[in-house]
Amino acid sequence: MSDFRLTQQAALKGCTRLVSRAIMLEALPEGHVIQVLGKPGDPHLTARLEAMSDGSPHAVRAAGPGQCFIVGDRTKTHAELADLSASLQPEAFGVDQSAGRVRIRAAGPMVEPMLAKGTAVDLSLSNFPVGHATTALIGHIAAHLTRTGDDTFEIMVLRGFAQSLWDDLARMSAEFLED
Amino acid sequence: MASLVPCPHCGARPREEFTIKGAALVRPAADADPAAWMDYVYLRDNPRGRYDEHWHHTAGCRRWLVVTRDTATHEIAASREAVLGAAGEARP
Repeated sequence: MSDFRLTQQAALKGCTRLVSRAIMLEALPEGHVIQVLGKPGDPHLTARLEAMSDGSPHAVRAAGPGQCFIVGDRTKTHAELADLSASLQPEAFGVDQSAGRVRIRAAGPMVEPMLAKGTAVDLSLSNFPVGHATTALIGHIAAHLTRTGDDTFEIMVLRGFAQSLWDDLARMSAEFLED
Repeated sequence: MASLVPCPHCGARPREEFTIKGAALVRPAADADPAAWMDYVYLRDNPRGRYDEHWHHTAGCRRWLVVTRDTATHEIAASREAVLGAAGEARP
């Protein structure tokens, strides 16, 4: 037995919501994140995964050829994860990343200029429509970006980088928070 | 070095997102002459001009690409997926 108690806590526990009229930054609940590895070029993968997700909009996000993330705000039990993993096979494999990746929501009319300070991806609505997702560098940190609304993005990042990315995003948002 | 690299899956991305492995060569047959293997494993041409290289989109789609780059001008003529065989032309 360990001499001290291991307590589970959110990666972005101390990060309070930053809000202004121009920008909003908040840590999302650490529900479930499942990385799905399928066959590149499988046209039915996304449709199949959507049926297995919790049904919320943009629960399934593309992450490169044949790969997707299934995300949601509710924690999945071990049995639910085992069921999901079994139903994915044999066409695809699922890896539980719920404790490995953290989601941050960035929203507001100035969200595009804010993110453009850190990433080279063209975030204009015509090039990056709602529902589009990709992995890219934000500063020095690789993060997964999803557009969930005209002025809303979700940023998913490896847990160990979450605090550092939050600090970067807060700094990138600083000029839009002064009102 | 080219600063924007066209990825056939992700579009144009900064080179900081990539890892370069080196020349993309045709692998000799398993029973090929030892000299051919020596050439393949150790010897490189270092040409001035167009050059096929393996690039890995490490901070993006994590796929291996073959990027055709001019070593003198740094212009990228084409980039394609290395494994899937889908002939992806260079994207802007």
